[in-house]
Amino acid sequence: MIEVINLNKKIGNVNALNGLSFTAQNGKITGLLGPNGAGKTTCLRTVFGLLKADSGNAEIDGIDVANEPMAAKQKLGLFPDPCGLYERLTPREYINFFAQLSGLNATEARQATVDVINKLAMNDIADRRCQGFSQGQRMKTALAQAVVHNPSNIILDEPTRGLDVMSTRILRELLLLLKAQGHCVLFSSHVMQEVAALCDHVVIMANGQVIAQGSVAELCEQAKKETLEEAFVALIGSDEGIAA
Amino acid sequence: MINLLAVLFKKEVMDASRDKRSIMAGLYYAIGAPIGICLLVSVLLQQLSSPEPLNINIENANQAPGLIAHLNSHDIFASADENKRKAITLSISEDYQLKMSEGRPATVTLIADKSDDKLRAHINQVEKAVSLYSSEIASLRLVSRGIDPSLMRAIALEVHDQATPDSKGGMILGIVVFTLILALFYAAMNLAIDTSAGERERNSLSLLLSHPLHSLHIVLAKVGAITAFSMLGLVVILFVSKLSYAMVPWQQMGFSITITPEFMLFSIAICLPLALMSASLQVFVSFMANSFKEAQSYVTMVLFIPMALSMVTTYDIATDIVQWLPIAAQQFALMEFIKGNAIPLPQLMLSTLLTLVLCFVFSFLSGRMLKSEKVVFGL
Repeated sequence: MIEVINLNKKIGNVNALNGLSFTAQNGKITGLLGPNGAGKTTCLRTVFGLLKADSGNAEIDGIDVANEPMAAKQKLGLFPDPCGLYERLTPREYINFFAQLSGLNATEARQATVDVINKLAMNDIADRRCQGFSQGQRMKTALAQAVVHNPSNIILDEPTRGLDVMSTRILRELLLLLKAQGHCVLFSSHVMQEVAALCDHVVIMANGQVIAQGSVAELCEQAKKETLEEAFVALIGSDEGIAA
Repeated sequence: MINLLAVLFKKEVMDASRDKRSIMAGLYYAIGAPIGICLLVSVLLQQLSSPEPLNINIENANQAPGLIAHLNSHDIFASADENKRKAITLSISEDYQLKMSEGRPATVTLIADKSDDKLRAHINQVEKAVSLYSSEIASLRLVSRGIDPSLMRAIALEVHDQATPDSKGGMILGIVVFTLILALFYAAMNLAIDTSAGERERNSLSLLLSHPLHSLHIVLAKVGAITAFSMLGLVVILFVSKLSYAMVPWQQMGFSITITPEFMLFSIAICLPLALMSASLQVFVSFMANSFKEAQSYVTMVLFIPMALSMVTTYDIATDIVQWLPIAAQQFALMEFIKGNAIPLPQLMLSTLLTLVLCFVFSFLSGRMLKSEKVVFGL
């Protein structure tokens, strides 16, 4: 479970987070939806401890990220934006490296790497160096890295960007599988269809604040609109930054 | 913790070893520097052992056959071909023979451009030869008048050169050791920048920091990997030096530089702390910079400090205090080892200790920087 409580964060002169609070439950997929510059990435970076909040706190399974970063990070899998690949390593080496950093021993890491490569159907690229990979191949590698150690909480920052249909389906199936296994999945996006199709709980944010949250149906009802996209535009009061 | 460090170190080495361009850029220096020095010394030796005849323009040569014969015996010849001779003209006056026979100063005019750096040595050579001839003739005149020519010499300066053959080569030896120390810095410079500023620019640094590990572990693994490549550079330059210096005819210069296996082991032992310090310094500076390009400029600038410390020892202008400092002390110890003198142990031990403390300080500061969001995201 990921809990964000009254987060405030100022970057330069901008209030990137402005009293942000929401909860992402275990066994559910939570979508963080917002226009460009809403503070989605800042929020996620604060949750995995890279940015320090000016006030408020973020908790992973009840562990405060700022106070016990090591314990909190051990319960997280992270798919960042940008992917942060090592161009000169192969996906197998890359995934294996991060599996070991996340606490698996060498044997466990090797086995977990084989499993995740099979699960994401990436055997054809597993032993090629990441240099020259397509966007989809990069995303898959980063995704494998995020879930290889089977963390209880998975955070994905814009996971569907650049994926083709097949890869998007694989991603969708993977997220649903993680959900079925009881993991907490939190992802940010501005692709409405993905969010509408996958999320049990949607947090709409703008200017570092939560504007509305609830299931897709609840949000549509609240805004009195037919689709999530229309509800989103109505709720944030602008159509800025929507890529559908 | 050790296990985690090993995982990080292994990844750093694997990643760096595949960066062929950076590695080769470091090794070009390690291979090229000793060969360059050998070529330089060989050319120098050739010039010293067989000085080229100096061809100049001599006007009215027939007036002064004695002077011309003297000049020829000093490798200075008259040449009519403008392309072959230097732009130096020695003009013998029309009344040369008359003045000579009267025992009065005969005028010989030297016409040349003294601001021309390339001509200066040749002009000196001609001036010296002419003044030597002049004093020889003057001495003969005194003898013919029954006067002891030694009256003209009030002081007889005798110089006793205490230099041993090996210490004579001090300067060249200093440069040889200097190239070794520089190899530590140059061999891994690109890798150091790539693994720190480069890693941040490729966004993998923030991912690394999101994992449950201390930032100091990340820094130590990077320093370890860079040190490994620095030491590789040192081993390469030692082997290339051993092979190439063996081909220089040192005996012509009265000293010799031989890279013995003992010296190689001694260098490796002494330079390991330096390599650690160099790696931590380069990582620290690279993380301080905002971008890869900025890091390249800063690291190049920072390298002037070790170069300066090594240089003052090479040219023997180091004060007593400098000799206790890192790099300077190690360079001094290496030079004394090659010369076969006693190694200045107190200086070496203190500076090694200082070197290791500096390595720790730079690593610690880098680790602390990685906790700053400003550094990680360049905010």
